[in-house]
Amino acid sequence: MSSHRFLIAAAGLLAIAAADCARDSAAPSAEAVATRPDISGTWLHPAGPGGGALRPAEGFPLTPWAIEKMKAEKPTFSSDFRETTDPSVLYADPNGYPRIQSHPMKFKLVQTDDYVYHLWEYNQNWRQIAINQEHSPDAPLTWYGNAVGKWEGDTLVVDSTGYKPSTWLNSQGVPHSEQLHIVERIRRDGDTLVMHYTVEDPVAFTKPWTVELKYARVKDGAMIETIFTISDELRFRERFLGVPSPIPIRR
Amino acid sequence: MRSRMLIAGIAAIICFPVSLSAHHGAASLYDVNKETTLKVTITEFVWTNPHVEIGIASVEDKSARWLLELGSPPNVANRGWTSRSLKVGDVVTITFNPGLRGARIGKLVKVVLANGKELQA
Repeated sequence: MSSHRFLIAAAGLLAIAAADCARDSAAPSAEAVATRPDISGTWLHPAGPGGGALRPAEGFPLTPWAIEKMKAEKPTFSSDFRETTDPSVLYADPNGYPRIQSHPMKFKLVQTDDYVYHLWEYNQNWRQIAINQEHSPDAPLTWYGNAVGKWEGDTLVVDSTGYKPSTWLNSQGVPHSEQLHIVERIRRDGDTLVMHYTVEDPVAFTKPWTVELKYARVKDGAMIETIFTISDELRFRERFLGVPSPIPIRR
Repeated sequence: MRSRMLIAGIAAIICFPVSLSAHHGAASLYDVNKETTLKVTITEFVWTNPHVEIGIASVEDKSARWLLELGSPPNVANRGWTSRSLKVGDVVTITFNPGLRGARIGKLVKVVLANGKELQA
């Protein structure tokens, strides 16, 4: 081996070793892991008042832009897609966040050193909350946003932005813009998961508003696949509504 | 005045309780105040989204057929249903809300299996 090649090989090994050291130093200590608050588990919002309804007690402080937008929307109180403008029915779009938190199916929280994973049974959707990281400056707009979090005592504080504006904020058609910014404070109180939301969006709301949702811990069983697609919707329309599909339907 | 009515209207919509029927409502398709109970043969049982589908034919009149919908798979699984709860050819007693305007569709209320076991929608 020439001395030149030897130097390149040695530099490569050093770089790998340095990267390993950096990973080790970033990893939380065993004590930190042992004392980390535990919000993991399977959660379901209980039926009844306050159970998962995503709305502030005093009503939404809607801007004229939001009021105008809502005038054109028809929420999903019908079986017939022709009677609603709900994007999750019309286009089989994902609910997006935070609307999916109102869905009456369970979700799981899974904690690792670097992330908290939020896994919804409905539509097999998920989001990741990056722990102790900054927001990416060039994150694209997505259904489930760009979420970062940090622990403050027993509470996980999650800051999220980057939401695709085509989703509804809840099933009643409350709109939002690309400027939607959500701060969540998530903590566990025995067998209850408490999620406190502060929501701001200067395009849709005249001021920030808050709501607190509570979820009950349920058996940590299997998540059942329920992926709702446009072919499912076309099939439903053809079979139950008598509306022929413009393309062959599959199942 | 008109704008006040509009705001009141929007407030009413916003305050409407969140629907637990996750995908499709029922009132515009089915007569939710009427229940039909029949002894039927299962002609299909499809574990699918958005809602599980059940095809039935009346035992008394095989030409009388309906297509019924159940809830979505995870929700009905919580009530004891599995993808094998019914199979083609099973004879069961079934109760459903029939389709409006004579449509041959329905929303399942409950089914009583041949062994007497009851499954709720």
